[in-house]
Amino acid sequence: MTGVVRPLGIATLVLFFLAAFTPLPVRLYDMLAIPARIGPADAIVVLAGGGVLSDGELSDTSRRRAALGIELYRDGLAPLLVLSGAVGWRSESAARAALAGKCGVPDTAVLARAAGHTTHEEVATLGPLLRARGVRRALLVTDASHMRRAMRLLADAGFDVLPAPVRALDAPRQPGERIRLLHETLRESLALLYYGVAGYR
Amino acid sequence: MTAYLIVALTSLVAYLFAVKRLGWRPSDLPGALARIADAVGTGLIFALVNLAAAGGLVLGLRALTGRFVSLYPLDDGVWLVVSMLQGWVWRLWRDSRSSRVAP
Repeated sequence: MTGVVRPLGIATLVLFFLAAFTPLPVRLYDMLAIPARIGPADAIVVLAGGGVLSDGELSDTSRRRAALGIELYRDGLAPLLVLSGAVGWRSESAARAALAGKCGVPDTAVLARAAGHTTHEEVATLGPLLRARGVRRALLVTDASHMRRAMRLLADAGFDVLPAPVRALDAPRQPGERIRLLHETLRESLALLYYGVAGYR
Repeated sequence: MTAYLIVALTSLVAYLFAVKRLGWRPSDLPGALARIADAVGTGLIFALVNLAAAGGLVLGLRALTGRFVSLYPLDDGVWLVVSMLQGWVWRLWRDSRSSRVAP
């Protein structure tokens, strides 16, 4: 057993130091992330992310995604802003719609919907709603690392998808930030693998 | 980065203190580093087994009950630390056993 365990330990330590003190996590993250391709679309679709906090405020992730969606709407890139939200006892989608209203987006341009617990459920719920409104091309807003998985699902549902990624972390400068980036990259890679095995793509 | 230069400096001071004052042999150091690698490797195995078992449990519960059970609680750094501690204890236990058997 030692024959396997020791090399495994050495490899883990080497990876740890490479991740903490070199740009390796940034390179891996860039390989996973999808670059932005912003353009006119039929709808801006903002995926759920992090829900709401106990005081009813949107989580940082949810707020960042919603803010980018609102910004794209205000830039005139689509006539419809779809604000998704996780299913829960507090409505993320309603909190996002309220934020959009405060930012001057008219109610008639907003479709807010609690769309499921997972990305797969979300796209399965939103797909028919988008088709019913004649949406063919969607500007998709989610975190850069989550974009690849979400884009595949929406494209498989028959939509032309333009990615509008939100970058979760700024270029990391500290070792701890690089480790966090590697953690995010590994987590999303596992999720991609799971979605592949589950047949979602 | 200054903090890590301090770590390098204290490591050097500890090394000199161990060799000059405590009389420890530098030739024993590679063995100590190898044992650290063993503990980390064992910890990683525990982490992967824990992850696979917990993930399987969550997905099994989803399939059996038809209710949503989140995978997000598995996305926690403490999970990795606890797994590493499992690995460390395992190695110490194993080493204490072999050192008792050896003479």
